[in-house]
Amino acid sequence: MSATSTVASDPAADAPDRRREQPPRRRRRPRLPYALLVPAVAVILVAVGYPVYWQVVTSLQEFGLAQQFGAPPTFVGLDNYARLFMDPSLWAVVVRSLLFCLVNAGLTVGIGVALALLMNAVGRVPRLVLQVALLLAWAMPMVAAVTVFKWLFDWRSGVVNWLLVAIGLDQYQGYSWLAQPMTFFLVASLVVVWMSVPFVALSVFAALTQVSDEVLEAAAIDGAGPWQRFWGIILPMVRPVISIVLLLQIIWDLRVFAQIRILQDAGAPIDQTNLLGNYIYELGLGRQDFAGASAVSIFVLLLTVLLSWPYVRSLLKEDEA
Amino acid sequence: MKRNRLVVASVASTITLAMALTACSSGSDAPADDESTSADGTPEPADITLWLAGPDTPDALRDYLTSTFEEENPGSTLTIEQQEWPDLVTSLTTALPDAENTPDVTEIGNTQSPTFTTVGAFRDLTPLYEELGGDALLPSFVEVGMAEGKNYSLPYYFGSRYMFYRKDIWTAAGLEAPTTLSEFSDAVKELHTDSQSGFAIGGQDWRNGISWVFANDGELAVEEDGKWTSTLSDANTIKGLEQWQDVFEGASNVPASAMDVAYWDFLNDGTDGEAPEAATIMAPNWARWSIGDLTTNDDGEEVRDGMVDDSKYDIFGLPGVDGGLAPVFAGGSNIGISAQSQHPELAENLLRIIFSEEYQTMLGENGLGPANSDYVSSLGDDKFAQTMIDTAAVSQLTPAAPGWAAVEGASLYEQLFQAIAEGGDVTEIAAEYDEKITPMLNNG
Amino acid sequence: MTTAPAPVVPGSVAATAPRPTGPRRRRIRPARVVLSAVAVVVAVVWVFPVYWMVNSSLLPQARLQSREPNFFPTNGSLHNYADVLDGTGFFAALRMSLVVTLSTVALVLVFALLAALAISRFRFRGRKSFVIAMLFIQMLPAEGMFIAQYRMLSDAHLLDRAIGVTILYTAAVVPFTVWMLRGFVAGIPAELEEAGMVDGLSRTQAFLRITFPLLAPGLVAAGVYAFLQAWNEFTIALVALPSDASQTLPLWLRSFLNASVSKGVDWGEVMAASTLIALPVIVFFLLVQGRMTGGLVSGAVKG
Repeated sequence: MSATSTVASDPAADAPDRRREQPPRRRRRPRLPYALLVPAVAVILVAVGYPVYWQVVTSLQEFGLAQQFGAPPTFVGLDNYARLFMDPSLWAVVVRSLLFCLVNAGLTVGIGVALALLMNAVGRVPRLVLQVALLLAWAMPMVAAVTVFKWLFDWRSGVVNWLLVAIGLDQYQGYSWLAQPMTFFLVASLVVVWMSVPFVALSVFAALTQVSDEVLEAAAIDGAGPWQRFWGIILPMVRPVISIVLLLQIIWDLRVFAQIRILQDAGAPIDQTNLLGNYIYELGLGRQDFAGASAVSIFVLLLTVLLSWPYVRSLLKEDEA
Repeated sequence: MKRNRLVVASVASTITLAMALTACSSGSDAPADDESTSADGTPEPADITLWLAGPDTPDALRDYLTSTFEEENPGSTLTIEQQEWPDLVTSLTTALPDAENTPDVTEIGNTQSPTFTTVGAFRDLTPLYEELGGDALLPSFVEVGMAEGKNYSLPYYFGSRYMFYRKDIWTAAGLEAPTTLSEFSDAVKELHTDSQSGFAIGGQDWRNGISWVFANDGELAVEEDGKWTSTLSDANTIKGLEQWQDVFEGASNVPASAMDVAYWDFLNDGTDGEAPEAATIMAPNWARWSIGDLTTNDDGEEVRDGMVDDSKYDIFGLPGVDGGLAPVFAGGSNIGISAQSQHPELAENLLRIIFSEEYQTMLGENGLGPANSDYVSSLGDDKFAQTMIDTAAVSQLTPAAPGWAAVEGASLYEQLFQAIAEGGDVTEIAAEYDEKITPMLNNG
Repeated sequence: MTTAPAPVVPGSVAATAPRPTGPRRRRIRPARVVLSAVAVVVAVVWVFPVYWMVNSSLLPQARLQSREPNFFPTNGSLHNYADVLDGTGFFAALRMSLVVTLSTVALVLVFALLAALAISRFRFRGRKSFVIAMLFIQMLPAEGMFIAQYRMLSDAHLLDRAIGVTILYTAAVVPFTVWMLRGFVAGIPAELEEAGMVDGLSRTQAFLRITFPLLAPGLVAAGVYAFLQAWNEFTIALVALPSDASQTLPLWLRSFLNASVSKGVDWGEVMAASTLIALPVIVFFLLVQGRMTGGLVSGAVKG
């Protein structure tokens, strides 16, 4: 909307800035904003406070199934962290998760924006058809979605292999997509992107609808081509939405867990396809090493905070500007 | 090991908006023995809970348990909850230590049993052992429920696995059901073509694959002076693994990474009459109902007929190295009383019903191998029942090591067998996995 | 400047209808035809897995895994639906899911709206930390928290009760919805409200009559998000609702994914069950869609 105010002189759009320049009226009741935060903060503290506290404590102890069943845990300091950092498999998982996350977040946002532009560019009927398709995909339960993709890529009865063979690529007869890490992640990415694009596309489309037609038409009359209009007007206006959506997508794609697990059930090289969530799950509930799992969780939290910090800062700066 | 007297130090007492993180023990977790009993020694009436895993126990058996229990323990009730297999370890890990919410009696996978037994999750059943069947109970299952010479969980039911094959295909190739393991290998390799597995097995499918280890007298792990060691590098184990590798490479079209494939579909003619994808498979006894010619059931649904045509479909037990039957991995589960149960006497009464002749017979009639070998005849006397009983009689279980559930939880055997199926050097792979597995075996 | 437009307005899909269509738009140009064709093709590709779910739900197990794919349910029937509905679980699970999901949506909307108002309408100490905390809290891996969550609920006697899961879900969804709603709130100039107060409305009245309606798209977007999260969540539910009697729909679905001694996994039933779980979501989408017509995004929000 900051772009709007430079192009069109809409008084309403400028208003919030003026308000901020004269905040004293708000200062009279400093308690109100805190009161408004109480419910949100309280529910988060209740639900997340103890688990985080438990994880921090547990990560400093020796804590396995025996401790879960009542044996007193022993304090071991940072041993769990040291043990994990020495484990090359953790670093492999970290790198793999980051790559998976960045590639998928990028693809999802890229495709989402493209579909939003497409919806904006076509007439009512095709737009509605596309929107309904996206909503249906969005409504599909995750387990069903992953299962269906698993079938589509099944080595034996999958539609994908069947089609490839039908067009003459005989080497795909019985080709096992999930057996190699690269093709496994190809399928996993397809599922993840397929599931997340509707959210991005519909969000960005909603933002696009707020770009005023008059402005675009004015620009067109002034001789701006479609490309110039996109870069000069449309993109700056939807940029805030895109950056938020991208950030969220990064957070969510770093947390991908169940999709991978369900795909692995069909038979995959497990240690080469685990992402961070799977690694933590395997360590905790799989190997009953709850201390190790807690240590990795804390580590992942710190790592994501660290990695996203520059981006978050720029986002906040934009916000304050 | 020392069994811990239930000091569940749970933190966070109540959910309050202030979220006071004060440490406090969650009160007196009443030791199981001091249960309040009325003057004449019968337990106070109460509601007890039984966890069953998966839908395996049919509804009729559940109804029988509830009504019989409530009849024999006036005033008490029995609630049966179904837990799903993939989530069972998670639910047991959280609920069993929790006196307030623990199931009183729970089913547990036989390979999961040692892990929970050694951490003190179950109540000592040694005093009841004789009464519930004693030596008639399946020994291998009894063993995985033991710790320090005491019984903590007992067998609930057993399953077995055997070979299903296309008799028409075998006969056409001039082959008959094999009598030794090497005959089996030769036959299925002969039957192998690009479009037909002689023997369809996925590389990761270790629950089938370990039969070859057992057949060669190999051990997966052994206990010495209370310490477990993974023995994949043992000469006999290597021999079994190499034989399995040979069969996989020579007879199976299934990917090395595949597991838990619906093998039974491979034996069927396609829905449009295509040739079957495999001549032989190995599967649990219930696979029968997914094999056969297409027919229509009472509801008008298309189903397989359950191998009616016995010139086309047949079964045999996996043969041993020198004839006879090879020991296969037995399916099935154990059952035990939670150490935290607040009503252990009622729970014991429930076990008495479960191990009664009547209930054991009902298990058999429903195709579940009864825990008490005196009642196996209830399984019937057709070839399916007979092969199941025969193969189960020589079956083996995974090592009763405290850390076995962790080995499974980390999917190490899936990875081990995949590496072998991909054609790697068995000796090297075995050494690599011994090194990974041994430290995990002893952690309870 | 803060006025990031609404992050998501899935509900406002129809709201775009009344936009002015100038003569330029009516001309049919070849580029437009190509784009329309692309849109339809993309739609078909996107909807294909959904179609495959429904198609499979109509096929008998014997046909599901055959090597020639069955593209149409020619031999199909509603048997799978009859079978999954026959077991007792569905309606109890549906009720539980509705209770948990709707309470979560309600709590999330109230809590997040209040917090969004606080951070976009007021400057106060700790504001920035709160905004950052809301973001980072989402980065906690959930896979390590089950045991702690179980103990907490058990100690509070909230296991197997809708309220326990609802609290956990609300906490999981609130951080994101706060971020979502602050954009919407910031997009509505406070001056509108102030003008209303000049006209004699109280502060609360001004909020309810002027700001609140303008926030509707944002609330719908946040509501949709909360609904989907709570509706499909599985792992927390597994830990917090151990008893059969209190299971939610994803737990109910889980019971069909189980091979057993008596049979393998019946994938037709799994797909029928999945379709049944997706239906209420689609109904929910349709409902909020309907509410959204009438161009709520017009006026002050629109640049």
